[in-house]
Amino acid sequence: MAGHVSIAVFDECPGEQGAFDELSRTTRGTLLGRAVAAGGTLLAGGIAIGGLPGLAAAAPSPAQDAAILNVVLQLEELEAAFFTEAERRARLTPALRRFARVVGAHERAHVAFLRNALGSKARKRSTFDFGQATRERRAFAAAAVLIEDTVVAAYNGQAANLTKRTLAAAASIVSVEARHAGWIRAIVGLDPAPDPTDVPMSATEVARTVRKTGFVRR
Amino acid sequence: MLDLTLETVDRDGAVREAFDAVPASTRRAILAGAGATLLAALTRPAAASAASGGDREILNFALTLEYLQAAFYTETERLGAVGGRLARVPRQLGAVERAHVEAIRKVLGRQAVKRPSFNFQGTTEDATAFLKTAVAFEDLGVAAYKGQAPNIDSPAILSAAVAIHSVEARHAAWMRYLVGKRPAASAFDAPRSQREVGEIVASTRFIAASPRRTGRGKPRFTG
Repeated sequence: MAGHVSIAVFDECPGEQGAFDELSRTTRGTLLGRAVAAGGTLLAGGIAIGGLPGLAAAAPSPAQDAAILNVVLQLEELEAAFFTEAERRARLTPALRRFARVVGAHERAHVAFLRNALGSKARKRSTFDFGQATRERRAFAAAAVLIEDTVVAAYNGQAANLTKRTLAAAASIVSVEARHAGWIRAIVGLDPAPDPTDVPMSATEVARTVRKTGFVRR
Repeated sequence: MLDLTLETVDRDGAVREAFDAVPASTRRAILAGAGATLLAALTRPAAASAASGGDREILNFALTLEYLQAAFYTETERLGAVGGRLARVPRQLGAVERAHVEAIRKVLGRQAVKRPSFNFQGTTEDATAFLKTAVAFEDLGVAAYKGQAPNIDSPAILSAAVAIHSVEARHAAWMRYLVGKRPAASAFDAPRSQREVGEIVASTRFIAASPRRTGRGKPRFTG
């Protein structure tokens, strides 16, 4: 079944669909890699995931909760930085601008919540470089779809590894991320919910996906 | 699998771009396969026999909600009053909710509650009433799954439940977008208890007959 996901720009510059193609290739590569590889090595680039469980159930513990929350904290920081910067400097349509403004505020609230929950165990802040994705609207939209889908998959992939109390907190965040994903997909004309169940990602897969965006500087 | 290509829904006309989501694309096929695999994992006999009494009760609660959603979208699609660019909404959501129903029923086997009879009070016959009801159903589904996730014992059932939970949230955002409501109302979604959900469902008067245990006294085929 050959095919590809591409962006069709109806109003202008069909040649500028490269940004999303690049991202979708990245996603595709990740999914293909996931389909054929079980386990796999931990990648250090972008997101530090040492010691984290994969999709297979590991006995939940407070220490494991902290490790998982630190991973999602970095994802939330990436999101917060991305939408905050995009709102400030990107040339966006009204629908995309509203999305960036509302979602940016949500992601900043998630960061604050996770930092507070982790206390002294919280990881150091990362720095990011979003390039065109926080300047140009098509690059922004494509990156927003990828980021939101990835964060949903990241939370879902860890659900069974969390203690029940932490799971309850994570559940109140992940559905908001899924709403963001559905929202941005609706704006750009992508299917908001393309699958009967959302496909989870292991921490390794999340790290690989994020690394390929090049957004995390350190 | 489902044919889920979305036409551009662009309320303010500012975004004129659409993604050409080729239904047979490699990515779609892989995603669909992975989604199906997750549901299949849920429905393996081992998962069902391993389900605790508490898990079975939670699954029956979820099943009732999924019956409600599936019947609502299926009836709307059949009646055909929601057409034009919205026609794909009941078609797509109906297919997804039916998939959820079937997956949960397989896990529960003869322990599954029976499908109730429904009376949707005209909300399946009018586009505006349909969308408002869809928003309410999807928001309720999100809150219901969220309320139960920490109570689930089996990691396999939990993983499947959260994977459904986030799809309900995508649906909720989509329906809210279509009616012009903010798709994500706040930074944190609140859970609802079984009792709260039950009271909300009862207040709609959509359920015309209470669910009963199905298959009682009938031979069971496990092969």
